[in-house]
Amino acid sequence: MRRQLGLPERIRAWIILGALSAVLILPFLFMVSISLSTDKTVAENAFTVLPREFRWENYLLVIGDPTILGYVWNSVLLCAGAILGQVLVSAFVAFGFARFRAREKGLVFMILLGTMMIPGEVTMIPQFLLFRSLGWLDSILPLVVPNFFGGAFNIFLLRQVMMTIPLSYDEAALMEGAGHLWLWRRVILPLVQPTLVAVAIFTFSWNWGWFSGPLIYITSLERYPLALGTYFMTATSNVGAIPPWNSIMVTSMLLTLPMILVYGLGQRYVYAVNIGSNDLLK
Amino acid sequence: MTAAGVGGGRMMASGGPASGSSARGLRVHGARKGDRARFWLFVSPWVIGFLGLTIGPLLFSLFMSFAAWDIFAPPEGVGVRNYVELFTKDPIFLRAMGTTVSYAVWSVLLGILASVIVAYFLDKPIRGRSAFRILVFLPSVIPLVAAAQLFKRVLSPGGLLNQVLGLAGIEGPAWLLDSRSVLWAFIIMSLWNVGGSTILVLAGIQGIPRTLVESAIIDGASGPSVFRHVTLPLLSPVIFYNVVMGLIGGLQTFGQVYIMTGGGPDNASMMIVPHLYNNAFRDYQMGYASAMAWVLFAVIMCLSVLVFRSSSLWVFYESEVRKT
Repeated sequence: MRRQLGLPERIRAWIILGALSAVLILPFLFMVSISLSTDKTVAENAFTVLPREFRWENYLLVIGDPTILGYVWNSVLLCAGAILGQVLVSAFVAFGFARFRAREKGLVFMILLGTMMIPGEVTMIPQFLLFRSLGWLDSILPLVVPNFFGGAFNIFLLRQVMMTIPLSYDEAALMEGAGHLWLWRRVILPLVQPTLVAVAIFTFSWNWGWFSGPLIYITSLERYPLALGTYFMTATSNVGAIPPWNSIMVTSMLLTLPMILVYGLGQRYVYAVNIGSNDLLK
Repeated sequence: MTAAGVGGGRMMASGGPASGSSARGLRVHGARKGDRARFWLFVSPWVIGFLGLTIGPLLFSLFMSFAAWDIFAPPEGVGVRNYVELFTKDPIFLRAMGTTVSYAVWSVLLGILASVIVAYFLDKPIRGRSAFRILVFLPSVIPLVAAAQLFKRVLSPGGLLNQVLGLAGIEGPAWLLDSRSVLWAFIIMSLWNVGGSTILVLAGIQGIPRTLVESAIIDGASGPSVFRHVTLPLLSPVIFYNVVMGLIGGLQTFGQVYIMTGGGPDNASMMIVPHLYNNAFRDYQMGYASAMAWVLFAVIMCLSVLVFRSSSLWVFYESEVRKT
């Protein structure tokens, strides 16, 4: 049904899109180029956009560095814990909102949506003091445990999807004598699986690159997640000394590649949810 | 737009005080005994988190904002002194507030403009547009710390940006090192992430029924005029969503500033949250920092209310037309 574009119009679109993509992709090429530079180029600050040197050893050196591997492992633990909590608990709570009748439900749901308007900075300091009094400082507990209370946006998202599942599914299961927990686990969860994947992707991308939380809570180098470790590589270099930009860019690539991978593999889940999230402010 | 429209209706029917309509739909098993208990059982994890990690801290933070506390000695009530000091004795804070608001407003305005333009061209049925879409979106998935490290090099005096400007014969400023250009350096950096909102706007464009566009063309409207009078009004809810979320996010900017300039040079790029962080976790001025957090909260609320209030002037909802 779509109107066919004439050749001049197509060429114009190509030129404009080509120029725009080139501008947006240049910094990324610059990142690749710096990551492949020799130490000499770093010292001379003589980086070029298109790589002229290909020192792949930079990558081997960083990947073989036990400190960096430790950062990666800490990030994996953080993400795994956060995803487990967020997916499981948000889906559990969403089921409550989608399926049961209670006088207070409308009010509780409004409060749930309202919490999304509260900036994290307001609760940040008291939470810090709370976790400090629990003796959780310098561990990933303050970063992981809050996920096990569910996230407002994820609950909202999952509830929206669960509301579209016909109640006849529930009735059939309950008629057969199944309990609500079984119904949730065996009927509802499989049906909302694409949204669960989207929630997992969002939780991953938030926690994988998370900077401010680890900065506040983690003080020991060996417990740093990768994002904080990457920051630490420039923060520690002496004033006047040139930071090892090639290794820093390799580490930044290490931080970036899983994100590209996750979004590449999961884009259809994310795309569907992104459209749905417009619901929020309607 | 259709998908979002249906979703919007769904939410309205069940979100607010009108939640009775959804409950009515659930009567068959909604009326079962013990439903209320089951509701509370299932939402209990969130309720516990809400009390312990949101409402509790919120009240405690409010209380602390009226106290002086270095977390070592016991807190000491000081009334509204923290708030008075913020606005009278803390020149960094006042400056940070101005910087933060201009950063948020400029990055959102330019970001929306860019994403509408990019999405307009990405919607054209040309070969290779999925490749273009990936290239445009790619920068948005790069984690903040990696992007910040990269942009320290991109925005250095002899870095990528000035190299490119040099090709055009323009001598660029020292960006992050110059207090006159540092804010624009951050705004330029924010535009690199235009892909995220572009995807949302593109989804909005693709959701517009073709029949609307085609009938406008049959009526003799030109391409740009169709975009101006058909596409743009139907996109306004998506744009509105991006403006609100962009402003809220922009006002809470922290990582870029903390990593790339630390607020410098000469506090020219200091924003509210980095200043708050320094007060709380470097100087242990917990009471003072809490007061700052409440001011930030108030600023976010005011700007959001302002945008919501103005929305009736420029946001077009199809459902409203149907009602009248």
